Amino acid sequence: MVIYMNRIKKLFKYDNVGIWFVLPAFIYMIVFVGYPIIYNFILSFQDVTVKTLRSNVKEFVGFRNYLELFTQDNVLRTSIWNTLVFTVMCLVFQFVIGFALALFFKNRFKSSKMVRGLLMIPWMIPVTITGLIFKFMFGTDVGVINYFLRSLNLISENIDWLTNTTTAMPAVIFANVWIGVPFNMILIATGLTTIPKELYESAAIDGANKFQLFRKITLPLLKPTIESVLILGFIYTFKVYDLIYVMTSGGPVNSTQLLSTYSYKLSFDMFKYSKGAAVANILFIILFFVSLVYLKNVYVEEER
Amino acid sequence: MGIDGNLSKRKNILYCFISIMVLCIMLFPLYWILATSLKTEKEIFQIPPTFWPKELNLKSYMVQLESGDFNMFHSFGNSLIISFGAMIIAVILAVPASYGIAKYNFIGKRAIVLGFLVTQMLPVSVLLTPLFIMFKNMHLYNTFWSTILADATIGIPFSVLILKNYFAAIPKELEEAAYIDGCNKFTAFIRVLIPIAKPGVMVCAIFSFLYAWGDLAYGMTFILDQEKRPITAGIFNFMGQYGTKWSYLTAFAVVTIIPVTLIFIFMQKYIISGMTSGAVKG
Amino acid sequence: MKKLLALLAAITMITAILVGCGSSDKDNKAADTTQGSDKKSGTSDKADASKDNSDSADASGKVTIWYYWEAIKHQESLNSLIENFNNSQSDITVEAKYVPFADFKKQLSIGASADELPDLVILDNPDHAAYAAMGIFADITGKFDVSTYYDGPVNSCTLDGKLYGVPFGSNDLLLFYNEDMLKDANQKVPTTWDELLEVAKATTTDTVSGFAHCSLQNEEGTFNFLPWVWSTGVTSYEINSAGGIKALTMVQKLIESGAMTKEAINWTQGDTMNQFISGNLAMMFNGTWQIPTMRAEVPDLNWNVALIPKDAIPTSGLGGENYAVIAGGNEDATIEFLKFATNKENCLFMMHNMGYISSDSTIAEGQFDGDPIYEVFVEAMKYAYARGPLPEWPDVSDAISLAFNEVITGASSPEDAAAKAQTTIDSILGQ
Repeated sequence: MVIYMNRIKKLFKYDNVGIWFVLPAFIYMIVFVGYPIIYNFILSFQDVTVKTLRSNVKEFVGFRNYLELFTQDNVLRTSIWNTLVFTVMCLVFQFVIGFALALFFKNRFKSSKMVRGLLMIPWMIPVTITGLIFKFMFGTDVGVINYFLRSLNLISENIDWLTNTTTAMPAVIFANVWIGVPFNMILIATGLTTIPKELYESAAIDGANKFQLFRKITLPLLKPTIESVLILGFIYTFKVYDLIYVMTSGGPVNSTQLLSTYSYKLSFDMFKYSKGAAVANILFIILFFVSLVYLKNVYVEEER
Repeated sequence: MGIDGNLSKRKNILYCFISIMVLCIMLFPLYWILATSLKTEKEIFQIPPTFWPKELNLKSYMVQLESGDFNMFHSFGNSLIISFGAMIIAVILAVPASYGIAKYNFIGKRAIVLGFLVTQMLPVSVLLTPLFIMFKNMHLYNTFWSTILADATIGIPFSVLILKNYFAAIPKELEEAAYIDGCNKFTAFIRVLIPIAKPGVMVCAIFSFLYAWGDLAYGMTFILDQEKRPITAGIFNFMGQYGTKWSYLTAFAVVTIIPVTLIFIFMQKYIISGMTSGAVKG
Repeated sequence: MKKLLALLAAITMITAILVGCGSSDKDNKAADTTQGSDKKSGTSDKADASKDNSDSADASGKVTIWYYWEAIKHQESLNSLIENFNNSQSDITVEAKYVPFADFKKQLSIGASADELPDLVILDNPDHAAYAAMGIFADITGKFDVSTYYDGPVNSCTLDGKLYGVPFGSNDLLLFYNEDMLKDANQKVPTTWDELLEVAKATTTDTVSGFAHCSLQNEEGTFNFLPWVWSTGVTSYEINSAGGIKALTMVQKLIESGAMTKEAINWTQGDTMNQFISGNLAMMFNGTWQIPTMRAEVPDLNWNVALIPKDAIPTSGLGGENYAVIAGGNEDATIEFLKFATNKENCLFMMHNMGYISSDSTIAEGQFDGDPIYEVFVEAMKYAYARGPLPEWPDVSDAISLAFNEVITGASSPEDAAAKAQTTIDSILGQ
């Protein structure tokens, strides 16, 4: 018995065997995404435009693309700001709503399973179609959203949602939250199932109320899930492209221009490949630092 | 929240009511897609909008069956192949990886987790050209494989990060018991841990499938032949140079959503029961 | 140790699965190439063919075309043209691949980076110069006779005096108006800007906007906006001029008077047409290609067309597609196909099915005998200006579309918007 225990202890102490489980997936990702990342970095330090795309010698220009973007390009600054606003707003709303729904559907009532399943449907629609349908619903005159608001007497005149520089951003955020809610809801709901029921039961016996249960049990035990959902949500939202492209193409007057749409526009509408790559890298670098902060927290947690 | 369990009858009705309200709000855009698909192009642009078509127009659905090179059924099959392929790759690779990260301390673990995140940090648009060059050199251009391999790169990091929490939540004692029973690390993983983490694995499989199902950029870029393209590519038949054919487009959306929805409703029993049964016992 | 071995075995298994996938890909690919969907097989076919009859011209082998028409009728027309060509001779096999419009530029760019291009593309004419400058199009000066073609379309395929393509067909813009709405408001068809403003105001009601044109912040919007600029007598590179500011002010007036709906900044030309046929618009700018759709969708609607109301000179925007031969592809065979596709009979067949006007003046005159609406479009061809041609046209276009979007949304005054656009345009042209 003692021999067994010792072996088990050894197994858990420091175990490089674990890496063999991880490597296949990691190598796969390095192969298929590592090359594009390097390709993109190199491209952003060159000067590849329409005229030089097919020539063999590509001029190396160092940080010139980045410098030009930061010093001469107002759209870049707008895009960075817009991207941050878009991401934070989307995350807050979709997370809170998703969390609330996950808790709500944890209750077992008659329609709970069916409704929760049906709420996944927004996820099955290709984003391009979602974008188009929201663009249509947000229309000024023919749009059904204005029609609702008017019927409810909330507004007296139609709002020009997508054609006004101040309302376009809220409208695209709304559409993205609609897509994001099921994602958050399901992931949190699955996370909730990892919390042992007995914990709630014993706490309830000790006289804890629902709010206390939530604060002392649900939140701390759900922390890893919440962290993963938020970091993934952040990364995915930060690079949302299709939805914006379809709904506003970054307009009106760049008021919904994000780093991702701007990068696409530079690369494939204006054929400034290196500039487009540089903008994508700016997006990449911001995400990289956000992830470092996330990892630092997780790591500290695990050390404890 | 709190102790889930059976609710009083009145609460039950109230909750049902609330849930139906939530459903109506969340699924309204879907209803709008359906209603629009049954209207004539003229009625779609009517002011004020009509909530149910005045004259039922089924023409948009007929059109789905006769769109030139693009064959609805064929491309539906393509999408299934691509999505299942991507899902299988993602699950096979991500499940052991997440277990490894959750249960072992090895050198460079943190860097690897960061590595998985890093792969998700570039917008799709800038991945297209280098991936295209790569697939061309691998002779995978214009085959399903290019898209399957590319789509799996979305599902893997996602699944790893979600599943690692699952494995981490499984008490050590269970694993230890398995060793005492004579399992080695690998067999313990297969026989004991995976079954416990099944709801998480299911969710990851579903999301990997759906990521691939909704993908448009990869399928369009890496597959040139119409007859090999995924169903999402069909959207371009109605969204072209001179504008959007709303009635056709929405009918197309309805036709593409229904089969997936059916699959999910059919599988729901397994998915949801796995999710709610509180699989991990303390 | 055992465990380690088991693990290794598992990993090898996984790798084996993956490698297995890899080899089956090759099989797939092999099947593909025998079908001949790959360019490489095209070249090998060509090599084989030239071995067979080494003395004849090298116009043989496979030609792949990329095009973006999503309408089934257009696709079928092109396919039947190709089929006729393939049946007419035995050396060359032509095959067409559909690449969606929204993806076309991207696909061409990626193809150029990855060296995976077709032999012939049919593309939107304002983009022509940019790709020609990229070096992906073959110089076909002297290989194809375009002397009878209209100047506008030919200019769009020309860069630095060299011919990089052949006009496929043209379209242009006119003022479409709802006859009943104008009659109800007691208005005549406008011919000048002032009249247009007046008619637009008079026809505007609670549910109807007097006028609109697609004003998207992209090439499509620029296309519809530029007639205002050209009509004042200045070029598209002179936005910060009396004419340019006047054009922007005209749009501002239309918007501020409520006669033009602001929503037009989110409407494609197709959306604009849909609004028109649904009775939400009294007048619009739109193009030749809408006629077949409008006739089919709303046969009862009383609508007509007129030249775009003018300021100083009559204008129209020139649109349309060009054929461009890819450099390094199967160039000779491609030109053979082009000669076939542009002869009078085939050209008329394509123009008829597409609703286009032939770019060849000898064919265009008499193309629409007796169809009063098309006749106006042919007349407008004389006044139609091409955008560019300039490799940097996308940047210029971007600056212009930003300017009129700023004016329409009220973000800037016409003067400020014009000045800003001019700074951008000057820096582009100065490079």
